[in-house]
Amino acid sequence: MTNHVPHHVNHRFDALTINRLGLWLFLVSDASFFIALLSSRFFVVGTSTPEHVDQVLGLSLTILLLLSSLTAYRAEAAAEHGDLPNAKKMLLATIGMGIIFVFGVGYEWYEAFKHFPPSTGFGTVLFTLTGVHVTHVVTGVLTLGFVYFRIRKSKTIGDNQWAVEGAVKWWHFVDVAWVFIYPTLYLIK
Amino acid sequence: MHKTIQETLKLGWVVIVILAIMTAAEYIVAVVIDDTAILFTLLLIVGLAKAWLIIQYFMHFGQLWEHVSDAWYGMLSDDPEADREED
Repeated sequence: MTNHVPHHVNHRFDALTINRLGLWLFLVSDASFFIALLSSRFFVVGTSTPEHVDQVLGLSLTILLLLSSLTAYRAEAAAEHGDLPNAKKMLLATIGMGIIFVFGVGYEWYEAFKHFPPSTGFGTVLFTLTGVHVTHVVTGVLTLGFVYFRIRKSKTIGDNQWAVEGAVKWWHFVDVAWVFIYPTLYLIK
Repeated sequence: MHKTIQETLKLGWVVIVILAIMTAAEYIVAVVIDDTAILFTLLLIVGLAKAWLIIQYFMHFGQLWEHVSDAWYGMLSDDPEADREED
């Protein structure tokens, strides 16, 4: 059977163009949600930050998420160049760091309940911002895991190139969100 | 032009090292500076720079414009006859 493309289909609207544009539109709309949440910090508690905020944990989580962005980038690059074994390794490394990040936020919450519970102004801001962000991290880990299982037995990337690219873009977006959450919650005073 | 895998990986390392330096700078600035307005401004500048690095190099923001122009011209030339002539 020949793969016939009807003439009335506009070739400029290929699937990759639509996928990429759609994902970017979604990311922009999701970013506006984070901007609203970030600004709420200044409305609720101004610029004051309690002294019990764990600076070491905040910095460690930031470094971890930045490193996971590098492994995600390398996974995408490896997949694009047909190096599937490395793409799988890097995807697993990213997933691993994402899971550690989630546990790190869990520990932050455990400590936060002692010093600034959700009933306090800063607690409200911290639990809301990190809660929304960690939900994004969890969906990112699940998406990367889904992509990993799709390609784990493959020898070529085939139709899964967009799956890798889309999941990795989502992961970078999660990182960009944290780039602003970290100074807003931990550094401003 | 497509980059080789080595060039792509090298770019990743360069970006992550710059991000690490900026994160360290961010932390030091927060420890050293007490003036809220100055601190807020500096943190915002560093944050925007870090976000730009990730969006530009890790998320390949440049690609987006090719797709926007493709979609735009695709809408303008939504004429089956014109497409047939192009083919």
